Amino acid sequence: MLRHFISVSNITLFVYYLASNLIYLALLIIALFASLRHRRRLASIRLERMRTSPLAPPITVLAPAHNEEKSIIESARGLLALDYPELELIIINDGSADRTLEVLREHFQLRPADVLYLPELPSAPVRGVYMSQNEPRLLVVDKEPGGNKADAVNAGLNAATKPYVCVVDADSILERDSLLRIMVPILADPRRVVAAGGIVRVLNGSRVRDGQITEVRLPKGWLEVLQVIEYLRAFLIGREAWAAGNMLNIISGAFGIFRRDLVRAVGGYRTNAIGEDFDLVTRLHRYLLEQKMDYRISFVPDPVCWTEVPSDLRSLARQRARWHKGLLDVLWPNRDMLFRCTYGRLGSIGLPYMWIFELLAPVVEIIGYTTIILAAVLGVLSREFFIQFLIYGYAFGTMISIGAVMQEEITYKRYNDWRDVIRLVLYCFFEHFPYRQMYLVWRLQGFWQYFRKDFVWRPMKRIGFQGGDLKD
Amino acid sequence: MDCVSNLPLLTAVLLSPATPGRFVLQAIAVTSVGIALLLFFILGRRGLRRRYFHRRDMRVFTLRKQWEGILNGSVPPEAWRRHPLDSEIVEEMLFEGMEAAHAAGHREEAARLLHVLRASGLLSSRMHEASEYGGWRKRRALVALGRTRAPEVVPVLAAALEDEDAETRVAAVRGLGGTGLPEAATEMMDRVVGRGLSTPGLTLQNSLLQCCQGRPELLQPYLRQAQGSARQMLSRVLGELATTAVEEDILLLAADPLPEVRASAARALGVARPVAALELLGELVKDKEWFVRLRAVVALGSIEDARVIPILIESLCDENRYVRLRAAGALAQMGPRLEQIVGKVIETRDRFALHAIISEIERAGGIAHLFSAISDPNHREEATATLQQALKAGQEQMRTAARGELRPVAVLKPGKGHS
Repeated sequence: MLRHFISVSNITLFVYYLASNLIYLALLIIALFASLRHRRRLASIRLERMRTSPLAPPITVLAPAHNEEKSIIESARGLLALDYPELELIIINDGSADRTLEVLREHFQLRPADVLYLPELPSAPVRGVYMSQNEPRLLVVDKEPGGNKADAVNAGLNAATKPYVCVVDADSILERDSLLRIMVPILADPRRVVAAGGIVRVLNGSRVRDGQITEVRLPKGWLEVLQVIEYLRAFLIGREAWAAGNMLNIISGAFGIFRRDLVRAVGGYRTNAIGEDFDLVTRLHRYLLEQKMDYRISFVPDPVCWTEVPSDLRSLARQRARWHKGLLDVLWPNRDMLFRCTYGRLGSIGLPYMWIFELLAPVVEIIGYTTIILAAVLGVLSREFFIQFLIYGYAFGTMISIGAVMQEEITYKRYNDWRDVIRLVLYCFFEHFPYRQMYLVWRLQGFWQYFRKDFVWRPMKRIGFQGGDLKD
Repeated sequence: MDCVSNLPLLTAVLLSPATPGRFVLQAIAVTSVGIALLLFFILGRRGLRRRYFHRRDMRVFTLRKQWEGILNGSVPPEAWRRHPLDSEIVEEMLFEGMEAAHAAGHREEAARLLHVLRASGLLSSRMHEASEYGGWRKRRALVALGRTRAPEVVPVLAAALEDEDAETRVAAVRGLGGTGLPEAATEMMDRVVGRGLSTPGLTLQNSLLQCCQGRPELLQPYLRQAQGSARQMLSRVLGELATTAVEEDILLLAADPLPEVRASAARALGVARPVAALELLGELVKDKEWFVRLRAVVALGSIEDARVIPILIESLCDENRYVRLRAAGALAQMGPRLEQIVGKVIETRDRFALHAIISEIERAGGIAHLFSAISDPNHREEATATLQQALKAGQEQMRTAARGELRPVAVLKPGKGHS
């Protein structure tokens, strides 16, 4: 009986693994074509015309900040220096325990302001609103700690006055033309394109001056380099391909642009969401599909947002566990969207993929390890087949990762140094052991924390980029 | 040697019908080849690109040294046209030079560079590409033709407006916009009004803006014929470019049945400011559509005339909060008249309006000025207290509204340090 179970289980796992590989391969090919198309389309777009166009819709940039005293000034200066005809910047001080508000007050000569604040979307109480005496485009909203980013963004949304809102992380750096680039699909089709996400890249290791990247370098630490590969794979393959089929359901919280009226229409960010970015986009899809609106949620691969990633295992483990909790926290309440005509391709392809190949992947993987061990103990494991399968899995995973690096090389080519590219390729061979197994454990921890209702946000250890290199 | 002799056997195993074991072996082989190809591609491409850019740098350096000769013809076009890389570099340098010359208003220099483009055959070559090729090559040529600003490229670009491919049509619109020529505007509008042109509205509007800059009368005949979305689109362009020369059309648009067109008319009235502007905007601030009222309020804010104040104060009590905020914003910019304005707003007994105006004055950095100006020094404290009391009362009223059925709710959160 046990033998039979193990045998069935092994076949199921084999089919699951094969299917996931084929999907990854398909995503890689779709993404490659989508990127090339985007590159060619860009050749006929002149950003400098957009920069001076009186028709470009104004944007409010929302930057929630929680204990960011080390980097907030650099970030704010970088955001205010963005190329765009008309923008306002709202920094939301989310109950920082450090001197975030004080450094902002000193640098931008903030003064308390009696401006109109309409709390249409839920958030923790606002303590005050400040305006700058030397930068009229800046508004600072100081609020009680809300415990998560969603709460802070909602406070910013309440104060926003422009038709589009761009949500960024205050500890991230946007390239100067990022807003112009992320607006390309929106300006091309403002009626249909309701939101767009940009690519998030790893800042660690690069040089930063005045809130801008001056030299892109690969981080020195192995953990960070592996995250570079993950980010390339997730954005240049995953998001590019899903967006091509209008099934993109994650716009990174670090850099995304939305139509403000629609964000308000869906009730803003869910303040108790763990993965607020995924949650918002899924609710936007749901709302627009239920309204039977013809819309698109786009991914634009060239407007770059640079962000600091965890450089220690503890922080990374927390982050990944939280991401997995967030995935479950969004998929479970939206399970009614699965396989229902109203939700179109998203309900029949996009979300089932997220359930089967993202959410349940760690469960399947752990079952796989267990049955293999059991099969070996019971003597039903074909050692030859097992080794072959292991080699195949290793080779295929490596190929997909190198595919992501190749796509980066063909299209955006941010790593100019030869040594960086060679290191990047080499690391593609080394991410399967032990990193993959550690990642499995972190994701299982995410499940465990979710079922135990452990939703506490645990801060990540940061180095900051105070006007120099982001040290590894 | 063993490996070589076993190769046929290995190939046979790999190509034989799939059992799971064989399938996995085949997959390993295919994946390994895939990895090898990807690595080869990445490294090979890097190497090639490095060589290409090095060569390009060298050629740019050489061509820069010969630049005057290229322009005056002492370096004949045959010398650089036969090398594709040189051709590409010279073309880019000519385009950049032309754009800089146009931006600086140096027409003669721009004409000289255009002459080189024509004489060298680069222009005809691009026109040929735009007419005979397809796909991205055609699109690239269309945009490049726009950069030349040569009148003879307009028919080629216009022909591409009929292309079946949507992206090619967009490139043609961008190219036509790039020329900035009135005939390019005419070609676009002929199609917009006549047969309909399916391209994204903003791209088309941007291109029309470039071509009609300083010549809004170009839009007149088309606006008179246009219906529906074409009318909306053209009126939006007129809204940016209007002058008193098109006054008659603005007056017609202000009474249009389409609200988007009326909103554009309001915008145009603010830009052109004809004699009847105040009267018409006074009507448009009472429009049934909130965004028409909003546009009218913004336009009124741009007119420096004391007669706009009572109209804007009335808009402070509008049912739409965006209109109220814009009206407050416009009033807050009225500088020396602030005292008078606040006095009148207090007279409306609308606390939301009072709060909106104070809020906007605060945004504009004028609150201290207002406090000192609102009364003479002997009564300043009293006046300040009155204003603050009014604000508090407004806050309370808004809180009451928030507890009730009214939406959107409005609650004031005063900043730190304010009593």
